[in-house]
Amino acid sequence: MAETSWQARGVVRGVADGAALVSQTALSFLGDLDIRSGRVVGRSSDLCGECVAGRVLVMLASRGSAGAWRFLYQLKMHDTHPAALILREMPDPSVTQGAILADVPVVVAPEGTFWSKLRGGDILRVDGSSGRIERCQR
Amino acid sequence: MQLSERDQTLLDGAEGEAAQQAMSALVQLGEAYDAPDMVDIGYAHVHAGMALYKGDVELIEATAQQGARMVVPASTNIANADMGDWQGIGAPETLGRLQQRAEAAHRRMGSATSFTCTPYWAGHWPTWNMHIASIESGVTVFANSVLGARSNRDGYFAVYAGMTGRYPRFGLHLDRNRQPTHRVTVSAQPRGTAEFTALGYAVGTAVGSGVPLIQGIRRRPSLDELDALGVGMATSGGVAMFILPGVTPPFGEDADAPGLPEIEISEAEIAGVFDTFCTGGETGFDLVHLGCPHASFEEMKYYADLLAGRRVAPGVELWITTSRAVRQMAREAGLLAPLLASGARVVTDTCPISCHFACTCSPDPALGVTPPTLRTILVDSAKQAHYVRDMIQCPTLFTTSELAVESAVTGRFVPRSRRNG
Repeated sequence: MAETSWQARGVVRGVADGAALVSQTALSFLGDLDIRSGRVVGRSSDLCGECVAGRVLVMLASRGSAGAWRFLYQLKMHDTHPAALILREMPDPSVTQGAILADVPVVVAPEGTFWSKLRGGDILRVDGSSGRIERCQR
Repeated sequence: MQLSERDQTLLDGAEGEAAQQAMSALVQLGEAYDAPDMVDIGYAHVHAGMALYKGDVELIEATAQQGARMVVPASTNIANADMGDWQGIGAPETLGRLQQRAEAAHRRMGSATSFTCTPYWAGHWPTWNMHIASIESGVTVFANSVLGARSNRDGYFAVYAGMTGRYPRFGLHLDRNRQPTHRVTVSAQPRGTAEFTALGYAVGTAVGSGVPLIQGIRRRPSLDELDALGVGMATSGGVAMFILPGVTPPFGEDADAPGLPEIEISEAEIAGVFDTFCTGGETGFDLVHLGCPHASFEEMKYYADLLAGRRVAPGVELWITTSRAVRQMAREAGLLAPLLASGARVVTDTCPISCHFACTCSPDPALGVTPPTLRTILVDSAKQAHYVRDMIQCPTLFTTSELAVESAVTGRFVPRSRRNG
């Protein structure tokens, strides 16, 4: 049951839920992730050592490479992909194309209180069509 | 989003399952970016289908199997193995054979099987104001900036654009986004492609994904140098377009536009890029690499000239990477024989960071691919250096093309010397 909900902009369709994994740094899908395990290996990321598989990945932005789509799709092929993405800014077209290909819902720019009320590990349900983010009771 | 009658027909499946899926994905992309409608594209540079990546060749095969056909001229991007001679660079048979399956799929779809990151040197030369789709960020920046075509930094969807001839109107397909965001004043006077990749790398680091308007370069750079400048920026930043007043086609070229953030790039910044990528020891490098991005015919002439009558040092490999089309031109011009006589390898379809050396994405164990342990790779391109660091994860040495050849011949690294100015 939803405890709290926020409105964001729906970018890639689909509904998914998982525990929030929150980053304050930008993550590069090329180089920062070990594809086989879904583990963050990039030392410049504050998620270094964490695993993105099945998580709702919350970050300010994705960083760099036009090859991002390929790595997102590879995470899907290895079943280590995040359940959904929540971003503050619109991603590169490459990231969006990868998310569509991998069926990973994406929402962008959630309303103000999201960033202050969200806690890492919160169970979130993300609806990429309506743009709705719900926090569920554990 | 406003769809044309034909867009709607494709979406309804009248032209088959493949086109339907492609149009559906393009509509979703367009809606994500608030595109008002779709544009007709004139050319697509599409994903090769990469044998090192799990399920990736199969993805291209499935698309071809569904009946996909390219409705505009299409070229294919760089691949994971030299499909004519994978054994020559030590790639396993399984990898070469799988990569060849992608080639067969592309032939069925009607793509020119160019397998290169520089399709323009192989004759794919989109023109002024043509909307295109491109999977390769280097092609995107060259097409937008040097040729005046219109392209975003796309991913797999360049295939969908090629199959439908359509692409949503957003990003650099719109005039309003083809305006400068930063003014960059260059006080250094770079010469040659290596220095231009370093200049581009410094610019990309400074402007991120902006559109830099560059001034201060006192001569018209060659086509190879313009290419190098673009790929440098597309590597360190997300740059998809630059403006060089008087050189690039007239998009937002008002050099006096007020209010732009100012950036200065001097010799110190260029030297800094070379220094950043000199992390290996001065002897003991395994591989010297020329041809990032894939060499043009002019570069092949230059390499042949530098290597004429010389011999690569024992224990060192020298690779020159290019496209099949340019290799054929080089062969017919009599340039291949002297290159091969020097001990250099001319490799097509791939490059060090694209071949089985990469360990970012562990390949399918069934392929039997084990990335070799490399001590150091010596390069003449900031792009190659950046991705050797991130994908092969071994030390690099970075110098000019001429000094890279000197290093390959002597077995001792010859660094670029700093310039005044």
